[in-house]
Amino acid sequence: MTALAADAVAKVRQPLGRTQAIGWFVIVVGLFTVFGMGVGTGSAPRSTLTFTPIDVSHGAPWHLGNLTLPTEWTLVLLGAVIVGLGAEVLVRRLVKGAMVRVGLMAIVFLLAVLVWASRQPGPSQVPFINLTAILVGSAAITMILIYGSLSGILCERAGVVNIAIEGQFLGGYLVGEMIDSATNNWLLATVGGVVIGALMGWLLAFLAIRYLSDQIIVGVVIVTMFTGLASYFNSWVLTPYPNLNNGNIASNLAIPGLMKIPIIGPTFFDETGYFYLMMGLVGLVSFGLFRTRWGLRVRAVGEHPQAAASVGISVERTRYINVILGGAVAGVGGVAFAAIQGQFTPSITSGFGYIALAAMIFGRWRPSGAVAACTLFGVSAYLAYNLQSYQVPISTEILLMFPYLITIAVSAGLVGRVRPPAADGIPYSRE
Amino acid sequence: MTSRTRGLWDRYRSASPVTIALLALVLGLVVGAVIIVATTPAILNAWRGAFHSWGAPGHALKVTFDNVGAAYRSIVTGSIVDPPQFWHSVTTGRGWTASLTPLSETLTYAIPLVIASIAVGITFQTGLFNIGANGQAILGGVTGVAVATLVHLPTVIHLPLTLLAGIAGGVVGGAIPGLLKAYTGAHEVIVTLMFNYVASYFMLFCLLSTPLQLPNQTNAISRTMPGGTQLAPLFGTASGLRVNYGIVVALAVTVFALWLLDRSSIGFEFRVTGANPHAARASGINARRTLVTSFLISGGLAGLAGVTWVAGTTHYIDQNFLQGSAGIGFTAITVSLLGRNRPIGIVWGSLLFAALEVGGSNMQANTGIPYDLATVIQSAIVIFVATPVLVKEIFRLRALRAESVKVATAGWGS
Repeated sequence: MTALAADAVAKVRQPLGRTQAIGWFVIVVGLFTVFGMGVGTGSAPRSTLTFTPIDVSHGAPWHLGNLTLPTEWTLVLLGAVIVGLGAEVLVRRLVKGAMVRVGLMAIVFLLAVLVWASRQPGPSQVPFINLTAILVGSAAITMILIYGSLSGILCERAGVVNIAIEGQFLGGYLVGEMIDSATNNWLLATVGGVVIGALMGWLLAFLAIRYLSDQIIVGVVIVTMFTGLASYFNSWVLTPYPNLNNGNIASNLAIPGLMKIPIIGPTFFDETGYFYLMMGLVGLVSFGLFRTRWGLRVRAVGEHPQAAASVGISVERTRYINVILGGAVAGVGGVAFAAIQGQFTPSITSGFGYIALAAMIFGRWRPSGAVAACTLFGVSAYLAYNLQSYQVPISTEILLMFPYLITIAVSAGLVGRVRPPAADGIPYSRE
Repeated sequence: MTSRTRGLWDRYRSASPVTIALLALVLGLVVGAVIIVATTPAILNAWRGAFHSWGAPGHALKVTFDNVGAAYRSIVTGSIVDPPQFWHSVTTGRGWTASLTPLSETLTYAIPLVIASIAVGITFQTGLFNIGANGQAILGGVTGVAVATLVHLPTVIHLPLTLLAGIAGGVVGGAIPGLLKAYTGAHEVIVTLMFNYVASYFMLFCLLSTPLQLPNQTNAISRTMPGGTQLAPLFGTASGLRVNYGIVVALAVTVFALWLLDRSSIGFEFRVTGANPHAARASGINARRTLVTSFLISGGLAGLAGVTWVAGTTHYIDQNFLQGSAGIGFTAITVSLLGRNRPIGIVWGSLLFAALEVGGSNMQANTGIPYDLATVIQSAIVIFVATPVLVKEIFRLRALRAESVKVATAGWGS
């Protein structure tokens, strides 16, 4: 398939044509923001931004007053920014950075929709935009996605496609929630998540490496299997023993001092331990993959396993270790999900594992890129979910489609610009 | 040993695809049994006291076998036939409805499964993944119900039009990943996975805020399809058996798929592309057209599966339509792999998996063990089918003629 698609892409690839299309699309969105929403909002409405976080249980940051903006001019300004992004793509003929501009456009546009929706006097029931709350909420979603993406990076850099992240999330969520409910100890829950994730990673590795099975098939079937298993557990174990699923959430560990900074403090320094662990893992994986001998070997195995084997690297062992590590990371991601979301229900992960995988591709199989991509997905998903509370003339169901539509759009706009590890998804056999 | 039994023994040892599938079924049932043992309180309690007295281990074993046996017995009696009930009907001539209901239910459930699995199988044969069959089936159900409830026509035209509308809905769902892959290179796995969620929300949107919604309702529930657009029960409504004329649709789709894959030139192009994309291109097959056509046909069939299910059984859709465990589009992926992506194999695979699902519900009713166990058993079966070498090693089969299910989709295809 690789070759076929490569051929298809080669024929399709006219970078300039596509860049122009993207540029014009961005400009149209910008013009819509200016003229569709901005100009003529009528009777001089105002939009108010506030910065006070919702959860101040660990003390509030230094107070910032409300910021009241004239809706019309704010929208014109935001629209102009979007038009500028589109113009930049067109003028500089950006090929590589085009999708990043589209991502920025999405965020600015959603912000513009918020400004428009919360205008007073207007139809809105929520008369202000709480910027801090938006960032805090987005950070939670982003964190989950980053765990998934890191898992994907660890596996795919070694040449194994881990499409079972969704299942590992589910496994980690279930096990984490059960252990924490039973022991009230998130540390034990995390260990449980590591174990279940690693086991699921091992299953994938075992089938994909030892038996050279198709990795996407095995991954999809593992997800199906664990979705069934999770539903089974939910009705057979959790329903009769509700105290194994009492919906605890982890409390935040605020960093004194730093958390006092307005906006940034609540977002980055008043988080659960899983957030800090995630930041540490991003650094660790980034450093490990690109600065250590281990990383060089992993990447060699993912790019050219035959060459790696010829200098004495065990391809199978490297792949086993990485897929199990990746599974463990996704398992912790599942526990982190439980730690912010609480009670387990069978469809709780709602495709986040797959979105994380898409973010990993968007981030070009690099931890730093994945963080950027996950932030983009996280912010837009949070905004889409929360636009419901404003009286926007779009129905809830359509808004809920947004994260998935964005993922589709991004994966459609990307290809040809990203290159996966050369041996990604190809079983390796010594013969 | 007579030559006949020797022939059977050789056949067993040679690991033909059928042998592998049957052994995978055995292994799948073993996995299911292990899960039952590990999670059922009665069994665990019996083992807890197993070493306190001499008779206890035997008792614990008995409890284990009783529980697992009861579960698997309910699967069989709930999906194929309940022997005492059947014997009662044969001797007294009464109660045939109860005797035939298990088989009827299995067939009823197999109907959309055959269609959806063939849909998935066609893309697999082309070397493509259609993981969005569920979303396409949902779209098919929605468009089918829309045409059935919002248009008024005589039955002769209305029923075919309803089915066609279902196909059209599915085609739209298949066109999105097909066109995106052909013209932008977007990987179909991600697009179809995401599309399933989009389709579910789209269905909710249609059920909540359009003419589709049942009047005077706030819940997500559609109007009921008028009688003329329903696929009637095969033995009449009075029989109480749900198996319906959808079976004709399923057979037609099977024949169509056999013709398409084995006799038509487009099907030949599909299979060549799936087997060796380089050779396909070298021999002048238009890769892009093949890809899009495969997805359009696949999507159309998935849509047909959705509308056939609604028209044959529930006659309306609500927010649970094809959601969660009822997602036939996901089961279809496993069925297709089990049937090695061939129409006939898929028919057998659908019957088996439909029996597991229907029997699973019966198991839940009789023993309380949740029917989701059926999904786990199904997935385990497919994992074993996808790794025949593993099955071969477990059963120490001699030669491996069976190749693993080949789907030429390595990596992200970019």
